[in-house]
Amino acid sequence: MAETNTLIPLKVHGVLVDPNTDTQIVVLRDEENSEVLPIWVGTAEGTSIRLALENVIPPRPMSHDLIYSFTSYLGFSVNKIVITEVKNNTYFSTIFLEKDGLEKSVDSRPSDAIAIAVRCECPIFVTPEVLERRGGEDLETWLSKLDQKGSQQPET
Amino acid sequence: MLNQMNVRGLLFDPYNNAYIVILRDEEHSDMLPIWVGKSEASAISFALEKIAPPRPMTHDLMKIMLDNMDAKVISTVISDLKDNTYFAKIHLLYGDSEFTIDSRPSDAIAVALRTEAPIFASGEVLHKQNSEELERWLENLKPEDFGKSDT
Repeated sequence: MAETNTLIPLKVHGVLVDPNTDTQIVVLRDEENSEVLPIWVGTAEGTSIRLALENVIPPRPMSHDLIYSFTSYLGFSVNKIVITEVKNNTYFSTIFLEKDGLEKSVDSRPSDAIAIAVRCECPIFVTPEVLERRGGEDLETWLSKLDQKGSQQPET
Repeated sequence: MLNQMNVRGLLFDPYNNAYIVILRDEEHSDMLPIWVGKSEASAISFALEKIAPPRPMTHDLMKIMLDNMDAKVISTVISDLKDNTYFAKIHLLYGDSEFTIDSRPSDAIAVALRTEAPIFASGEVLHKQNSEELERWLENLKPEDFGKSDT
């Protein structure tokens, strides 16, 4: 994997709901707004990310709240998540956990990693290789087809 | 008092567009139906059918993270029922200490099945739940309503 100094920090710009399919799109952007990385995720994961972004506290903990809860109870912190690779349109990511100076890395889907990152308020990084290979044109095509209503109404 | 429960199956509830996890206390033949959402139902169904998805799903990630932290799931308990909402607890052993984490039953069951931890229900929950409701519901079911979750 690339060294930390070549990693590009990204922020979650928003989550779009695709009204035609059972998917949502997490839009990540860099600080200069020059790079966009769209990642297609499932409804449950997209909803989970959106709830955390909007600071909605559900009456009962959602799955990612539970992960955040046991991670912090056990004294671990999430240092960062890195979107490391894209293979056959599937993105891969790594969650970096730390306790007492000992770091552990855990393989995960980006949707879970991002849902955890927005709860832990830890940085999100992407490797330059992933940005080079992303499907940015797909998002443009998709966005142009999307009406305004669909981008705002959550499905669930 | 705690009763150990087995996951007997997963039903689709077409009226509420939700799924029902059926827990059963084999010793006393008590049934405990718990309504869960689609993604939690599919997480439970994958574990019941021992399907390993190509990428870790959310509850697989929970197990992987707990393994990485050297934390062990001792048990899960369906602990309370208030206003039709079930509450659960996940008991973790970490170092020499036990930690109790508040959770929804669906997450607790999905984690228990992956970590082979026992699932308990408190006697209180079993008394409070109205099994007549499930029986009425079951009577209205058609054979085609039984099946695997549609993931």
